[in-house]
Amino acid sequence: MGFSLTGTHVVFFIASVIIASAVSGVFIAVIDGVMTSFSERGKIIEENLDTNFIIINDPDNIPTSGSFYVFYIKNIGSRKVATTNETFNLFIDGEIVVTENFNFSDTSIKPEEVTNLLIDNSEILAGDHTLRAVGPQDIVDEFIFSI
Amino acid sequence: MGFSLVGAAAIIGVSILMIIEIIVSTGVPTITNVDEAFDEMRNRAVDQVQTDINITGVTSLVNGSGYDINITVENTGSVSLETANFDILINGTINDFSCSKSYIHPQNIVYFNVPSITGLGAQKLKVITNNGISDYYEFNLP
Repeated sequence: MGFSLTGTHVVFFIASVIIASAVSGVFIAVIDGVMTSFSERGKIIEENLDTNFIIINDPDNIPTSGSFYVFYIKNIGSRKVATTNETFNLFIDGEIVVTENFNFSDTSIKPEEVTNLLIDNSEILAGDHTLRAVGPQDIVDEFIFSI
Repeated sequence: MGFSLVGAAAIIGVSILMIIEIIVSTGVPTITNVDEAFDEMRNRAVDQVQTDINITGVTSLVNGSGYDINITVENTGSVSLETANFDILINGTINDFSCSKSYIHPQNIVYFNVPSITGLGAQKLKVITNNGISDYYEFNLP
């Protein structure tokens, strides 16, 4: 009878340790996951706050280069902006410009620098237009111009 | 029963300490970085609001087959501006230039020189500051 009482205590002890360990493990895993997501979200917000650009062309005088219209994109944020077909989406009068029809003269622009955005002239007819450039971190600039 | 309770409490206590460490070590740097980024963005926005320039005059000098353009720009805002990161468009095209000073302080003027411009008649000039504020000016080449 004495042995069975000790055995019962041991079983209770082991069970309580296992349950406490399991609960602790779950809590730690959940908190770690939440904090990892929080950290990643923080980096996205940080990048979003650091990123900004504008189109600086003269709206009346859009220069050309071969069969392309040239738009000047100036980085007015505090972080380098990647300028590729994959990081930018362009819309002219609400219609998306297919990636084959535009490119940049540089793959990235440092703060306060300018790069050329070249858009195939087949995308832009004579008249008034709105160019909407959606860059990294969903930063947007709209530019109204005339050809 | 007493040992069981103490054992379980000790394990949960240690795990709570680990959770606090995870929260502090991840949360504090994240909040600090976001706060710094927000501060920078706010400073940029304030600088933009306080930036203004005025093109007060343009002169041209014959240089071979083209013209050297001298542009006088006054800082009418309240922020000093770095002139190396200005941009100058003449008739829509960006041009290389030199400047008389590295910085243009409030209420001061600087002179930009744009060499070898070709063309005749009316020209439209746009000067853009390092933070994207701009001014226009029209002039004639004889």
